[in-house]
Amino acid sequence: MASLKWATLLIIALYLNSCISKEPLNAECDITEAFLPGVEMTREPVITNDKVTFIVKAGTNIRNLSPCFKLTPGAEINPPSGTALDFSTPQRYVVTSEDKEQHKSYTVVVQATGTANLNYDFENVRLVSKNSYSYDVFYEIGANGGEAFSWASGNAGFALTGLGKTPETFPTYQGNDGVTGKCAVMETRSTGAFGKLGKKPMAAGSLFIGKFDITNALSRPREATQFGMPFFNNPKMLEGYYKYTPGPVYYRADGGNLIEVPDKKDGCSIQAVFFEVTPGMEMLDGTNFVAEDNPNIIAVARLINEESVDEWTKFSIPFIQRPGKDIDAKKLREGGYSITIVCSSSVDGDYFSGALGSKLFIDEMSLICDDSEIQ
Amino acid sequence: MKIKKYSILLFVMLTAITLKAQNDKPRSIQWSSKPGLQYEVYAAINIGGSAPIPMPAEIRHIDSYNPSLNLQIGTTITKWFTQSQRWGVAIGVRLEEKSMKTRASVKNYGMEIAMDGNTISGNWTGKVRTAYSSKQIAFPVTANFKINKRWKINFGPYIALALNNDFNGEVHNGYLREGGPTGNKVTFEEDAYATYDFSDDIRLFQWGLQAGGSWLAMRHLVINANLTWGLNDIFNSSFKTVSFDLYPIYLNFGFGYVF
Repeated sequence: MASLKWATLLIIALYLNSCISKEPLNAECDITEAFLPGVEMTREPVITNDKVTFIVKAGTNIRNLSPCFKLTPGAEINPPSGTALDFSTPQRYVVTSEDKEQHKSYTVVVQATGTANLNYDFENVRLVSKNSYSYDVFYEIGANGGEAFSWASGNAGFALTGLGKTPETFPTYQGNDGVTGKCAVMETRSTGAFGKLGKKPMAAGSLFIGKFDITNALSRPREATQFGMPFFNNPKMLEGYYKYTPGPVYYRADGGNLIEVPDKKDGCSIQAVFFEVTPGMEMLDGTNFVAEDNPNIIAVARLINEESVDEWTKFSIPFIQRPGKDIDAKKLREGGYSITIVCSSSVDGDYFSGALGSKLFIDEMSLICDDSEIQ
Repeated sequence: MKIKKYSILLFVMLTAITLKAQNDKPRSIQWSSKPGLQYEVYAAINIGGSAPIPMPAEIRHIDSYNPSLNLQIGTTITKWFTQSQRWGVAIGVRLEEKSMKTRASVKNYGMEIAMDGNTISGNWTGKVRTAYSSKQIAFPVTANFKINKRWKINFGPYIALALNNDFNGEVHNGYLREGGPTGNKVTFEEDAYATYDFSDDIRLFQWGLQAGGSWLAMRHLVINANLTWGLNDIFNSSFKTVSFDLYPIYLNFGFGYVF
């Protein structure tokens, strides 16, 4: 019987592998790399699934730039790589896959400002809508009336759990009843069966300046949160209003399971980090953004609160400069420094620990800067 | 474990049949030529898989294939016709399990990841583990022909009712394009994996063709070999996630007792 089994197996295996078809043409249509030949860049281009952002030196003529792109093998882009376009407004490109079946539209933006937004009112959201869910993305309006930047959150990762339906069922969403107008709400949520399987049993609500790299969200979650944007001022204080309700029971993540920790309270965190950009460290990530031994960090502002705050309460968090760290005025003007603000409804959310239901509200946040002392 | 259990069962039955058959005179071994109905009970082992034909381009490599050994038991009633009693028609009923386990490398493969009653669909590139198992009751109707004293062959259709089905597995070491090839790319590396379960999408009624031969080893003992070839996709036609059809193709080997 054994030999019969092996004979059959052999026949089946031969069938199976002899019939492997020719490899299908690629169905994907990604921009994998982007360049602006001959233009001095302040940062590496930021490429997401539908947007490319070039950050160039202030004063660059952006009315006539010819970006080049590397694509998924076999894919084509229109307008073609190297076409000169006016980037005073964002340009739209369409990438077509090698099999010609798929098309993806990209917005390509060139930022050449020497200033950054300092006030954040959380009035503007853009809805990301898919078949089975939609969630909010906060963005800020710049001095020219266009979008200055989008706030990042872990919502795109939470979408994979299948538990998010409407924006309010996601960990980060826009709420009514702000100090004025709307506000930002962050809520720590269970990630259900998918999170348990992926050893990420909860998701804290989060809002941060930077980008959420969904590609790495499951395999390297602390590297998926990328922090920072160019900043041209010397930050002194992070101000704003908040409310906070910690969830009733604190849980520690143990693999995919949540273990109750008695007598421990959840806390919210509101942090800002001002850091120097060096080759190899253009952005901070979840592994190093508050590390004591990170030589790039210049100053940190941090509020961690474990108490209930029922009414809108003002916070003013000073930036504490790290010993021996100075700011070079010329480098500051040229975009050599970055800032990030990171808010979370559970301070240990990056380790998937905290209390389900912890809720943080933020509104009318601003960065107070003092550039007079920098010569 | 299951294989061992089946093997023991087969061995016990074989021994019983052999003991019963010891009184037979070798010369008298031939298909009964009594007119009317002939009854047979049989047991066999099913080896095979549910395979796409032709192999779709999404499947880039079969990394491993384990057909498992599945038991099949059944009974057949044959009505022999004509003067020579060489032609007959058989109807039967059998209980059987069809199963397999595969590991494959795929590219841009339709996938629906299961979570809490929700699913995230998309296109998967990477490794896929699949386990399929279906317990079925099948009703074959076959034409039978006696080639000589000891050989007969059969051919005909069967219909089957899939009573209890599992079609599930895992994806790992690859990436999902959420919603389709242009969606967000989510990589699953190292120990990251996700599960899928298409068990509820297995078709209840299946049909196909079978063909095989039987050799009368002793007066009442017959050795059988059959190929059953499913002719409809194992999935309901409304199920679109797996973009190609899978056909159950199983070889079975066993023996029967002819009354």
